[in-house]
Amino acid sequence: MFSSQIRRVARGAMAIAAVATLSTAVAGVASAAEKINIATLAFVSSAPLFIAKEKGYFADEGLDAELTFFRAAQPVSVAIASGDADFGVTAFTGGFFNLAAKGALKVIGAQLHEEPGYDGSAILVSNKAYDAGLTKVEQLGGHSFALSQVGSSFHYMIGNVAEKAGFDLASMDLKPLQAVPNMIGALKTGQVDSMIIVPHIAKPLANAGAAHIIGWVKDYVPYQVGGLFTSTRNVEQRRDVVEHFVKAYQKGVADYRAALLATDENGKLVKSDSTDEILKIVHKYVYADDPEEKAFPKIRNGAMFITKDARLDVADVKKQVKWYQDHGYVSKDADPDTFIDTSFIPPLDAK
Amino acid sequence: MSDDRTAVKNPVRLRAIGFNPRANPYAAWGSFIVLVILWQIGSSTGFISELAMPSPVAVGKALWQLIVSGELWVHLAASAQRLAVGWVLGTVAGLTVGFLIGMFSWARSPGVALVSALFPIPKIALLPLFIIWFGIGEPSKFATIGFGVFFPTVINTFSGVDNVARNLIRMGQSFDLSTWSIVRKIILPGALPTILSGFRISSSIAIILLVAAEMIGAQYGIGALILSAGNLYQTDQLIAGVVVLSLLGLSVSWLLGRLDKWLLSWR
Amino acid sequence: MRLEISGVSHRYDQMEALRDIDLTIEPGEIVALIGPSGCGKSTLLSIIGGMLQPSEGQVSASGAVPEGCLNPLTYVFQDFALLPWRTVAGNISLVLEDHKLSKVERAARIDEVLAQTGLSDFRNAYPKQLSGGMKQRVGIARALAVRPAVLLMDEPLSALDAQTRILLLDEFSALFARTGMTAVYVTHNLNEAVRLAHRVVALRRRPGTIKEIHTIDVPIDQRHEGDPQIAAHEAALWELIRDEAIAADKELEHVG
Repeated sequence: MFSSQIRRVARGAMAIAAVATLSTAVAGVASAAEKINIATLAFVSSAPLFIAKEKGYFADEGLDAELTFFRAAQPVSVAIASGDADFGVTAFTGGFFNLAAKGALKVIGAQLHEEPGYDGSAILVSNKAYDAGLTKVEQLGGHSFALSQVGSSFHYMIGNVAEKAGFDLASMDLKPLQAVPNMIGALKTGQVDSMIIVPHIAKPLANAGAAHIIGWVKDYVPYQVGGLFTSTRNVEQRRDVVEHFVKAYQKGVADYRAALLATDENGKLVKSDSTDEILKIVHKYVYADDPEEKAFPKIRNGAMFITKDARLDVADVKKQVKWYQDHGYVSKDADPDTFIDTSFIPPLDAK
Repeated sequence: MSDDRTAVKNPVRLRAIGFNPRANPYAAWGSFIVLVILWQIGSSTGFISELAMPSPVAVGKALWQLIVSGELWVHLAASAQRLAVGWVLGTVAGLTVGFLIGMFSWARSPGVALVSALFPIPKIALLPLFIIWFGIGEPSKFATIGFGVFFPTVINTFSGVDNVARNLIRMGQSFDLSTWSIVRKIILPGALPTILSGFRISSSIAIILLVAAEMIGAQYGIGALILSAGNLYQTDQLIAGVVVLSLLGLSVSWLLGRLDKWLLSWR
Repeated sequence: MRLEISGVSHRYDQMEALRDIDLTIEPGEIVALIGPSGCGKSTLLSIIGGMLQPSEGQVSASGAVPEGCLNPLTYVFQDFALLPWRTVAGNISLVLEDHKLSKVERAARIDEVLAQTGLSDFRNAYPKQLSGGMKQRVGIARALAVRPAVLLMDEPLSALDAQTRILLLDEFSALFARTGMTAVYVTHNLNEAVRLAHRVVALRRRPGTIKEIHTIDVPIDQRHEGDPQIAAHEAALWELIRDEAIAADKELEHVG
């Protein structure tokens, strides 16, 4: 929150400076690049944004894109609702839907998608629970489950897994631990029996013998994990800017898919011509402190599926809203149709 | 002389005016009512946007919903238990250490130094450590509240002990009272006013720390309710939770007031 | 009980408060310690009662104590030292509770000393409800409750107004005459000394030494306010300590 205030002050100062230069300079340099501010996290899920920035796709579209990094997903949506930032990508949560339902946000495209054939979130159990016989997803009923917050995407995923696997979510002891490191710590020490987590965390944990993967979310629920969104004000007043932004983002997504989602004829992930180039770009932002040989495998592990052209699985988003509403985490009057705008990117075809 | 008597008489002007604020319970309640009315007017006219702050009516509805669904009592029971256990643990430990510091030279300097060094640490910053030490169950919540309560209680207790009139202790010694009698009958009651006013502070700290304590692994509790409402942008429920905390604070303060009256009737 | 003070000296850091005090207090005797401020009279009283370790010398006690005595050397304090959270009866009870007395015995002692000091109607009052004189009566009652061998009185009337002082002085004098109590009475008021004491010990200051011991051979119950014989003793005492008082008055305060 502080950072956004500081930024606001800084931007105010910059605006004054800009006005000063403009008034002294010759007025009317018409084709000055449109400034946009993108709120992002240093995660692989934001990779298309980094690619578009580094490869100049934003500049090609006449946009002067500035990336602002946040430490948590929640402030990203708040920053956009309040007008501090223009665009962002984030996972869908009950909180996001509640905020969107207040009318300040529009979802215009897709972020990650859980898709059979690609790595997605894993269902992990602690060694202690595994040794005690918890080896199948169907047995999760009655066990404890770590999640960041009530109404988070973790909550939705375990709810859907419970439905499909046939155990009762209400019988589970949900432990909100606020942050992912706390969740990992609690699972490692056996203080919770289970959790769901992204693959680049799940796989190293399992490989190190600190936990066991007993299933994958995608096997139960193909699911639109997150979306690309902007403020309602931008959609209404700067439509051309949004269109340009979307084009650049889609180019980034195309590069991402070509480099990180390429498969051989058996559906196995393979390295393509552009893999190393894209990994280098992403590495500038993600795991930047690690050397390439350590960072690249982590990035690849975290590179989940993104639909072609960042098309949004609208049907699934509606399903999610309904689930959150049924469980009391999203207000009944929230209507997905009012905050999903498919006029920039056509929706994913219903299967 | 006679001139003086016939001269114009000026009444002496009263000059000792002001600097004597008096309590007025009606004004206290009135200020709440005025605030809520202004707030509702702001919300109804759209001056305060629903995104920024839910209206009092929305908060009232959220609160009512919590009451009729029975959820409030589940949350309240969970929090009350944590508050009670955490506060009692912190207070008992704080009183013990405070008395040791207040009475014994060997405990004095080390105790004061340690307390001064540890008191300003925000307990929330230690939360990850508490999770390692005490797990994610109830003990870490008791510990968070207990630690928060412990330090101010220590400081209050030993300053209370320091403030017990030395002449009373000397009197006790001159009548050959046992050490235990002096502690129980002279030092404890003498320090009690300070200790009781410390209870007001420590109970407020306990309520403040409730939200922090319930950040980790709490499905129920007023703090957990507020946190999850915040995460879900259910601002009406968030404010409803805050109102409940505030009422909790008022009730505790009232109870302590009664305790004061009962224990300190001699004042 | 006989108290023997032999070779007592006391030093506070650098300051020599008492030097070579030798004094014997006989059973049934009232000894007043007088002298200007800073002469060490209160220090001496503390040493006599075992509340202060003298730098040198010792105080020894010998002889029988009264029947039922719980605390042979018992103080009466200038500032009363009453517990504000206990009633009059509770304050007296305090000093009995650590002893093996049955409830009935304890109650009987409380009733007895309350009656002696005229406090029976105030037994349930708290100290804050009492006047200064009443508070000191409670102090006396508390001291009497333990049946002391020697009363050690540290300026017991100094905190009281003049009228109350006269009333209590009469009561003390009656009490001493009636009970034949042994007492050491510290005061800076010569009138109190000549009304109550068999012997008045005048102390010299810096360091505190005994200047003179003045004996008053009039029976205590025959001394009255305005009695010329008593007034003569008071004047003699004044002669004795006047120079010391003047010196004390002109001296700058050493410490707080």
